[in-house]
Amino acid sequence: MTKIVRTAATEPFKPMPDDDMIVCRCEEITKGEIRKAVYDGMSTTNEVKRWLRCGMGLCQGQTCQKNVQSIISRELGLKIPDIGQITGRSPVRPVVMEVFANDVLDVHEEA
Amino acid sequence: MKRHEVLVIGAGPAGLSAAIEAAKNGMDVAVFDENARPGGQLFKQIHKFFGSKEHHAKERGFNIGKDLLKEARDLGVKVYLDATVMGIYYDKEILVNHNGEVDHFKGDTIVIATGAAENMVSFKGWDKPGVIGAGAAQALMNLQGVQPGEKILMVGSGNVGLVVSFQLLQAGCQVAAVIDAAPRVGGYGVHASKVARTGVPFYMKHTVVEALGEDKVEGAVIAEVDDHFQPIPGTEKTLDVDTICIAVGLSPMSQLADNAGCEMKFLPKKGGNVPVVNEYNETSMDGIFCCGDVAGIEEASSAMLQGKIAGSTASYKNGYIDEDEWQQSVEKYRASLEQLRTGMFAPQNKGRTDMTETDEGIPLSKSLLAKGYVTDEELAEFPACSTKVSGVHPVIECTQNIPCDPCQDACKFGCIKVGSNISKLPVINPEATCTGCGMCIASCSGQAIFLVNEDYEDGFATVALPYEFLPLPQAGDKGKALDRSGKPVCDAEIVSVKSSKVMDMTNILTMKVPVEYAGTARFYRA
Amino acid sequence: MRIAQHPILGTYEKGQKVHFTLDGQDMVGYEGESIAAALHAAGVMTHRYTAKQHKPRGIFCAIGRCTDCVMIVDGQPNVRTCITELKEGMNIQTQYGVETKEAWEAKNK
Repeated sequence: MTKIVRTAATEPFKPMPDDDMIVCRCEEITKGEIRKAVYDGMSTTNEVKRWLRCGMGLCQGQTCQKNVQSIISRELGLKIPDIGQITGRSPVRPVVMEVFANDVLDVHEEA
Repeated sequence: MKRHEVLVIGAGPAGLSAAIEAAKNGMDVAVFDENARPGGQLFKQIHKFFGSKEHHAKERGFNIGKDLLKEARDLGVKVYLDATVMGIYYDKEILVNHNGEVDHFKGDTIVIATGAAENMVSFKGWDKPGVIGAGAAQALMNLQGVQPGEKILMVGSGNVGLVVSFQLLQAGCQVAAVIDAAPRVGGYGVHASKVARTGVPFYMKHTVVEALGEDKVEGAVIAEVDDHFQPIPGTEKTLDVDTICIAVGLSPMSQLADNAGCEMKFLPKKGGNVPVVNEYNETSMDGIFCCGDVAGIEEASSAMLQGKIAGSTASYKNGYIDEDEWQQSVEKYRASLEQLRTGMFAPQNKGRTDMTETDEGIPLSKSLLAKGYVTDEELAEFPACSTKVSGVHPVIECTQNIPCDPCQDACKFGCIKVGSNISKLPVINPEATCTGCGMCIASCSGQAIFLVNEDYEDGFATVALPYEFLPLPQAGDKGKALDRSGKPVCDAEIVSVKSSKVMDMTNILTMKVPVEYAGTARFYRA
Repeated sequence: MRIAQHPILGTYEKGQKVHFTLDGQDMVGYEGESIAAALHAAGVMTHRYTAKQHKPRGIFCAIGRCTDCVMIVDGQPNVRTCITELKEGMNIQTQYGVETKEAWEAKNK
């Protein structure tokens, strides 16, 4: 991973004509919001995800991740491995809480 | 907590093949799939597969799916459906969301075969109803029997975009155009040609800039792009479509491998973030395998072989087969896999744009890459396309090195030869005599073989072609013959229609055309 | 539109004809097909309106991944209609945000 030099942006944020285009469909995050997040200092896919929730919706980033990454990488002039992937963690699919409440715990019952 | 020796995640071609291999060797195997129906994407694949006989070539995907499922069940593999694996934990424990409960399973081996997810492009209005993924189009028409739309714009000219375009035509939809931001058609030329000859235009170096419409898609604006893939102002075109179908590649669905702690690597040639696997499809985590698209985007045929390699290796490591048996089986599967990984479209050639000629040294068709069809002049360079032969004979418009050879087995008279390197272009044996049976036409997964007879009758030739549309024309019907670009060129009369079980739904239409069109007439329209 | 006859697949195996409602309107479909397919065959494109921008959404991936096609089915919101089988008597409602139209309108008056 390339070392990222974080310096405060000195130039004002430059709007682009397609900034209102939806990128993350689940959470309705636009291209402009992602660009602004990068401008505000987010520099990895995970950071942008936590800042804006793109990739935290029902689809868990299955649809938008690559498109979010390409916006971040273009803004920062970095390659995809440098901005990283959304961490894969359990549950990898959305689960309703009721299911968690119905955990089959037979193995622990004797303890 | 339930125990099975092998836990396979994903009941697609890779997962089922791994399960079958391990179960054959005596292991206790369970397969989990989040869907209600097993088979992964196989049941949506209604086209004939490429490869060799051992790769199920010329069989249609959904039939391969049926066979795999039956084999797995016959071997006692337990298949859990509607069972979503949520995570992989320490000591090969998995958590499954099944029947509204969290269920725990433990195994000695885990095979992750979760496949891939579709890539998407974002453009203005892409969230409107009517913009769908290519997989959605396939699910609607091939599983549910519902047309995805009436008039469709296909975005993406890779194999998925081309295959789905053809399937849309088969489902009775219109395809307004196939577009791609890349300057070259990305998928097999034969797939492009069978779409182009029906009259579908190809616009390379074009992107979709907007989905028009209020509450749903009522049109699409496309534009030419520059070398940086940016739309060039003033080149916009509006297409009258109600559906925009996106087929811009796949990404490995590798989150579970990441979650399990496997070493991951971002490899564009493999389609994105993938677990690092060795030659046995083992990940960096002992006893955890990844096979199929999750380990790198390839074809279903390769996924099946990777699954077998993983299943065999798991059997050996757990003492179910000895080292010799393991090495022999892996050798066999690997040799078969290597055959599939040859030719222009092999994984190692992904993204290459510098190829200018075939392995045989024949210049590649530029028209095919730009417009989806080969020109007469370009075709003249290919020996198997010669029409200067007396009597009925095959014309094989196969102009790229792709791993496929059913045509050589199809001809019982030895007219067609590909050889042991299945990516070589087929050649016609001038010594053998063609009887005009048409088996080669039906065997060609690329629908690239025609039987031409320029001596049919005075001034007229016949052209026999593969036909997979409805309504099926009848002998005596009169219509137009279309050329490779889909342009009507002359009158045509159907002289015979052949359908038989061995041809597996590929009908053979023989049409009579003026002899000067024998080399150009390649499709029929009533 | 439904495909009556397919050149490769022939006719599609369909279950019995079933009746269901969409926002109170009577609809028909076939048992076992997905709710989304039945709606698509009937020309329904909008499954829900989004929470933030109130934009219409419909079928997108059709394999249960993108969750764009979610609707309220028998009172339960966020049901993925593309992978949920249609059953006799189902009460299906267009989803507004994560609620019914009435609940959404009451909140956003």
